[in-house]
Amino acid sequence: MSTARPNARPVTRRTALKTLGAGAGAVALLPWLSEEGLAAFAEVQKTKAAPVLKVLTPAQYATVEALTEAIIPADERSPGAKVARVADYMDLLLSEAEPALRQRWLEGLTALDAESSKRFARPFVRLDVTQVDALFADISRYETAKAPVADPALDIPRNEEPRPKPPQVDTLLGDVGRHAGGRKTLLEEFFADTKQATIHGYYTSEIGIHQELRYKGNKILLEFVGCETVEGRDCPHCGQKAEA
Amino acid sequence: MPADKTLDLDLTAITEESRRLAATIKPGSGKWDVIVVGTGAAGGMAAFQLATAGVKVLALEAGRMIDHRAEYRTMEWPYASPRRSRLPPDHRALAVAEYNFLDRPYGNNPAFAKYKKVESYAGNSFTRNWVVNEKEHPTTGTPYSWVRARVLGGKTSFWGRVAIRYGPLQFKAASRDGYDVDWPIDYDDVAPYYDKVDMLLGCSGTKEGLVQVPDGIYQRPMKFNCAEVQFKRAVDKFPGRRFIPGRCGVTTDGILNNRYRSRCLGRGRCGRGCDVNAAFHSPTALILPARDTGNLTVRPYSVVSEVILDETTGRAAGVRVIDANTKEVMDFKARVVVLGAGTLDSTRILLNSRSARHPQGLGNASGLLGCYLSEHHMGPRGSGFIPTRLGAEPTLDDGRPTAPYIPRFRNVTDKHPDFIRGYHFQGGGGAFEYPAFAHDTPGWGKGFKSSVRKHYPALISIGGFGEVLPKKENRVSLDAEVKDAWGIPVLRFDYRFSDNEIKMAKDMGDTAEEMLRAAGAEDVKIDREMLPPGWSIHEIGTARMGEDPRTSVTNKHCRLHDVPNVFFADAAPFVSGGTQNTTWSILAMCWRTMDHLKEQMRTGEV
Repeated sequence: MSTARPNARPVTRRTALKTLGAGAGAVALLPWLSEEGLAAFAEVQKTKAAPVLKVLTPAQYATVEALTEAIIPADERSPGAKVARVADYMDLLLSEAEPALRQRWLEGLTALDAESSKRFARPFVRLDVTQVDALFADISRYETAKAPVADPALDIPRNEEPRPKPPQVDTLLGDVGRHAGGRKTLLEEFFADTKQATIHGYYTSEIGIHQELRYKGNKILLEFVGCETVEGRDCPHCGQKAEA
Repeated sequence: MPADKTLDLDLTAITEESRRLAATIKPGSGKWDVIVVGTGAAGGMAAFQLATAGVKVLALEAGRMIDHRAEYRTMEWPYASPRRSRLPPDHRALAVAEYNFLDRPYGNNPAFAKYKKVESYAGNSFTRNWVVNEKEHPTTGTPYSWVRARVLGGKTSFWGRVAIRYGPLQFKAASRDGYDVDWPIDYDDVAPYYDKVDMLLGCSGTKEGLVQVPDGIYQRPMKFNCAEVQFKRAVDKFPGRRFIPGRCGVTTDGILNNRYRSRCLGRGRCGRGCDVNAAFHSPTALILPARDTGNLTVRPYSVVSEVILDETTGRAAGVRVIDANTKEVMDFKARVVVLGAGTLDSTRILLNSRSARHPQGLGNASGLLGCYLSEHHMGPRGSGFIPTRLGAEPTLDDGRPTAPYIPRFRNVTDKHPDFIRGYHFQGGGGAFEYPAFAHDTPGWGKGFKSSVRKHYPALISIGGFGEVLPKKENRVSLDAEVKDAWGIPVLRFDYRFSDNEIKMAKDMGDTAEEMLRAAGAEDVKIDREMLPPGWSIHEIGTARMGEDPRTSVTNKHCRLHDVPNVFFADAAPFVSGGTQNTTWSILAMCWRTMDHLKEQMRTGEV
């Protein structure tokens, strides 16, 4: 993958502050903020470059694009996982994963296409929304299972002598989301792992943070505002009344 | 592919500066009155108090210097890196589930052989250059998530900033419930020093008049966001419970006494290090100003292995230092030694300081050095979604250095049938940059996406911190075989939660749930598992203070009973820890100890 923007103009302190909406006064308040620190957050990551793949083949990449987009699709509010380049992130995660984990995930990807072909006589990339829904419903049952299998790693024998165990991290994202129910089949495991990685890839992307969530923070504030009821006024944001 | 800037932080200059300092500061290259071991909250405050009073100080830091202009990446977006703030592939942070199950030393696990650096759970993209490598810093014994940072300022570059005072309920806890012993001092002894710390460093908060968390001298407090206001209205209806603005060691109005620090700019994300140093970080708040007096010498890469005893006088002569890079061993001499390496490492240094006169370690005639290890148990937490915020346009909810706080309400005026002492909650709500709850949101597709979006502004989440009863059996000792990368014996933990902690943890989950339900929260989720021991990073007590040298290690001025010129600047002498986050008390107690030390130096006592 690439985030290269060879022709991009370097972000200067001035343009960065402009991006922030901060005036010249803010500069005086930032004695230690480095050029690079400012540039890093102001840098806009809008790459249309072709992916430079580390692990996935172009065909697999296309499947991952379709898969991640099916998990977080474009809608009227914002683009989905495909435009947010989550597939590139997946490729990077795979390239840095334990070989056994990577292998298992790739087996899952193959199994997904096999299941898709068996049921709908076509590969995953060519499924329509109804077909994807039917397939996902079957491989995500663990999410709504009545009594999810407790994670043995969290069933802490607090006062017992410790027993040696292998490392517990067994998903692409490490600890994140690994406690979501007990999962069994290869496809369930694959779906869970892919969904968690898609969530991370999407909601840490510029599209996910700014367009989809409309996150308002990480700005220079002279004073935090908060709920206006704190000031004794009815709050226009949440509709709560000031307390008498 | 261009270099990933978030991975290529250039530390060459600061590393070279550190090596240069280490190479030029040698025994005999200067004359110092006091040696201070460590440069975090404890060592920083000790060095500052002494240097500004004209005492010549040598501060020994085990790690390198810090570049406070470049290393605090406060406003970096996750998409600045294709790796999205994850650790580089040759780094590995221990996961919560691994602490209780992996054999110790954690870093020795064969599965970790391929990593260059194995870090505690606190290791992340922003802290990875500060926290220690578990491979070089092993521990043995029972599970313990010991977070250490070897760099100028120690853990203060990424601390949680919660600044709460101990009060009479902590200093005289034993008198109230009959368990264990009181501190030999009272709140009135320390209150003036808390006031001074508030004024020197800046503290944000509100006066509430609560006995369990005495008021301080506060700068502009943090307001509540919309989700929190609704939650607060429910919490405050419970007798004895209050949802108050967090109190934090961050200057929100600015301070006039320090040219390295600016006031808070409301970005949040202070745990990466605050690049304008509004948050208290020892390097800019204490060490650099102390060095500017000309009275402080800082030697980085100085791993202290032991305190050296002068056999003829029975006093400490200085400390033995192993240079972290060259492994050169050298003895630095001074009139006084102040230990501020952190509760556990200070204790380890003394346990390793064996001599004919002190066969069990320096200052350990009582045999209690290393005993009474305590901290705060954590884990039980609750979350839910405030209905009036569901589907709302997100507001700017996290531009604050701290989240709200629910002070201890158990065993304050009433008596709980199941356990003694108590716990507090920290937490808050609203839209944070990363919607972590999405990982627990079922489904996929447009339904999933709009569910995350709908719940995003409405989250409310709180987690508890409970007192771990001090017990003699909870202790650290030197491991007979395992040594660290510098050949110093490592700590063996013998530390377990007792019935009181487990019952208290159950109550934490119950009260978290009842408050969330009272607020009308939807999708209430309660986690009841306790986190591994050590998670709070609030370790105290392994050199407890007291009047009687047979039952305590230090006197009420944090000085070893057995050695008249060795003092603690950190939390090792603390008798019990209440529920309060420890740093602000370390700063206040250290100031008090240094005032006593200065007086003793003036009168020639030391």
